[in-house]
Amino acid sequence: MTDLDDIKATFFQECDELLADLESGLLAMEGGDTDPETVNAVFRAVHSVKGGAGAFGLEPLVRYAHVFETLLDEVRSARVIPSPELLRTLLRAADVLQDHMVAARTGGGADEAATAAMVAVLEGFLPGHGAGPDAPEGAEDSDPFDFKPMLAGDFDFDAPAADSPGEPGWRIVFRPAASLYAHANEVATLLRELGQLGAMEVHLVDDALPVLSDLEPEESYLSWTISLKGDVTEAQVREVFDFVDGDCELLVEAEQAQAADLPLDIDIAAMIAAAQRPLEPLAALDAGPQADFSPPAPVPAPVAASSVAAAQPAAPARAAAHEPAHAQASTIRVDPERIDTLIDLVGELVINQAMLAQRVAQHGFAPSSDVVMGLDELEQLTRGIQDSVMAIRAQPVKSVFQRMPRLVREVASQTGKQARLTTEGEGTEVDKTVIERLAEPITHMLRNAIDHGLETPQERLAAGKPAEGSVRLAALHRGGRIVIEVADDGRGINRQKVRQIAIDRGLIAPEAMLTDEEVDNLIFLPGFSTAASISDISGRGVGMDVVRRSIQALGGRISISSRPGEGSTFTLSLPLTLAVLDGMVVDVAGHTLVVPLTAIVESLKPRPQDISPLGPQGSVLAVRQTYVPIVDIGCVLGYRSAPLNPAEAVILLVEQEGGARAALAADAIQGQRQVVIKSLEANYRQVEGIAAATILGDGRVALILDVDGLIAMRRREPMASLDLNPIAAE
Amino acid sequence: MTPEASANAASVSGERRELTAFRVGDQEYCVDIMSVREIRGWTPATPLPQTPGYMKGVINLRGAVLPIIDLASKLGLPSSAPSARSVIIVVQVDDRLVGLLVDAVFDILSVGQDMIQATPDIACDRTRSTVRGLISMDGRMISEIALERLLPEGESLAA
Repeated sequence: MTDLDDIKATFFQECDELLADLESGLLAMEGGDTDPETVNAVFRAVHSVKGGAGAFGLEPLVRYAHVFETLLDEVRSARVIPSPELLRTLLRAADVLQDHMVAARTGGGADEAATAAMVAVLEGFLPGHGAGPDAPEGAEDSDPFDFKPMLAGDFDFDAPAADSPGEPGWRIVFRPAASLYAHANEVATLLRELGQLGAMEVHLVDDALPVLSDLEPEESYLSWTISLKGDVTEAQVREVFDFVDGDCELLVEAEQAQAADLPLDIDIAAMIAAAQRPLEPLAALDAGPQADFSPPAPVPAPVAASSVAAAQPAAPARAAAHEPAHAQASTIRVDPERIDTLIDLVGELVINQAMLAQRVAQHGFAPSSDVVMGLDELEQLTRGIQDSVMAIRAQPVKSVFQRMPRLVREVASQTGKQARLTTEGEGTEVDKTVIERLAEPITHMLRNAIDHGLETPQERLAAGKPAEGSVRLAALHRGGRIVIEVADDGRGINRQKVRQIAIDRGLIAPEAMLTDEEVDNLIFLPGFSTAASISDISGRGVGMDVVRRSIQALGGRISISSRPGEGSTFTLSLPLTLAVLDGMVVDVAGHTLVVPLTAIVESLKPRPQDISPLGPQGSVLAVRQTYVPIVDIGCVLGYRSAPLNPAEAVILLVEQEGGARAALAADAIQGQRQVVIKSLEANYRQVEGIAAATILGDGRVALILDVDGLIAMRRREPMASLDLNPIAAE
Repeated sequence: MTPEASANAASVSGERRELTAFRVGDQEYCVDIMSVREIRGWTPATPLPQTPGYMKGVINLRGAVLPIIDLASKLGLPSSAPSARSVIIVVQVDDRLVGLLVDAVFDILSVGQDMIQATPDIACDRTRSTVRGLISMDGRMISEIALERLLPEGESLAA
């Protein structure tokens, strides 16, 4: 990857963030936020995208962004009122801008028709075009296609400063503070922008520059005096410095006389070229930097020094250098693979530590001995390291949530409904492994909420609700899991219809007695879809059953609750990480197994009178007046042929997806432990009834039960008569 | 490629291969040394439910879960309980690691492809499916294991 590709990748990353800011700003404005700073932030986001795109020569993107920006500028200066209609348009415009970004990133072309249509709509809002998007376009003052991105090399800095005396002009003294560079602004960019207003002459003032030994690399020593000619207002000049307001001293005054006593003339084009040179090999320095300066400057040091910047931190002329800003950034970007490696290593460290502790215990050291106490400290440290390392990989769900407003807009417009999305708990953090798996189920739940949940505006008005439906997407931590809720205020589930469909498709018996909740959850059954016709939105051949299965595979659950006429709520819960798991370690016929704690409702020692035989070998357990089938883990897995006497067993009461309960019978409980999940598939393959494996303190592999799978196996082959591999206890 | 074809191709090139030779019961077998990752002592394996009898289970190989195949059982030979002197040969097949439980590793052979003969037709299907070819060495017969056919995946596909 070349340097330029690297920079481009960074640019696209930044654009993602900028577009997210743009969208959240517009949504805030739509929600009634009138803070000028919000409008400014929105404007800045588009402006920055445009600026970056210009530097990479992404012309279609720049042209489009320019129109967008022009309209936003009008909004910012209160010449255009941000009506709800305008905001909706701006949100759609942001989507188009994103499409352009995607097109630019993948190297493809953006949808030109959509762009042209959006440009027309945006221009329609500009003053002088009438108030509505239908107003005719074509006024000359804002023709977007006049805009050309300015590459540093393109710009004619040698344009003579128009010094015809009659022409109005401005004298600008610009003295950047160190914070200007720290905020990643560039003097060169500002000057370039200023140069677009008219002919200018720039003088560098380096009076404040100390000798090299006293030079403070993070300090700002340089200032500029600019003489600008042309028909320009003071506001226009100040606008150029808008972003750096507060990070510099700025003096703008009407041109009086040529400041003849400036110490140093300097060619900006050469300066920019020199300042950008740190990206190139230092060999350029040997070639003699003076060669680049058209008027051989008496003291070229400040500029030349910038080409030394790569090697020597003491670089005063940071006019165009990005590095200082990056050095001060509060976040770092790390290759995720490195973190994964670290997590694997820490997982092994935890296992090794446990093995060591176990061996020490076997040798009979006293709990107060140095060895045992030292080991205790080691254990705390390893746990601490593990938690910290997992925290590195934890990410806020924001990255998933911020893709959703667009989805809602699209689905709403496709279905002819009006929907407003509100999000909560965007800062909720989960492990990266989980984040990646969240987008798909959330997408499905939102599509479902809008397509099936919300009514059309007419229906809503008839029902006495606002025409615009509301969809709430929330994330929260609950009981060591992340819970995602998607709630709509639509019509709720039509239980009669759902029930009828389930009966028609043979999913339930016609006479089945189901609670409301059970009826609601029928929509997760395979082969269930309430949409009469397969629509593009809900019926992509992926039903809610597939969503549920993929969530279950991750150790998650999904359920729905609904109130007729008031709306439905999907609730999805997932473990916070797919790397570790809290489990109950149990003994079964001489084998050690781990049962995921999330599945266990309670564990108990049954009283003999609560157990009733049922069928040849089966039995049920009475738990608070309900009969729960007893599942002998050892039998189902083939560890033993005759079931354990339930009266002597330990019972783990587990809850399956859908709420059905079962009583798992094991020999004994060893305790509760956090275990590192190891894949069986990596070297072998999936084993029915087993979710994964882990490594226990003694260094041996223990299997993690897949509770639902286990119960399904038992249902299929009542009481193991499995001749496959009856494993005897060792 | 059939064993005959591969033997012919290699005899033309005259290429020699190194093989790790080991004992299973009183028979001798070998695998290509390039697929051997390590050789280690026996540690008790955790049995896996719902697996064929030759799957001894899984062990912890420095944090990875390694399936162990009892080669004697896989080859249809009488299988005895592993002892402290049993050996696990960790081999890599594609991107998977598998442990082969054998009685002892005894030699490293260097053979030309022309020394490898096809498995005779009379051998039973189970043997033919796991033995790639036969090598005659100092009057002894050593069979080369077809590693890619040991994997449970291939078997479940066939089943």
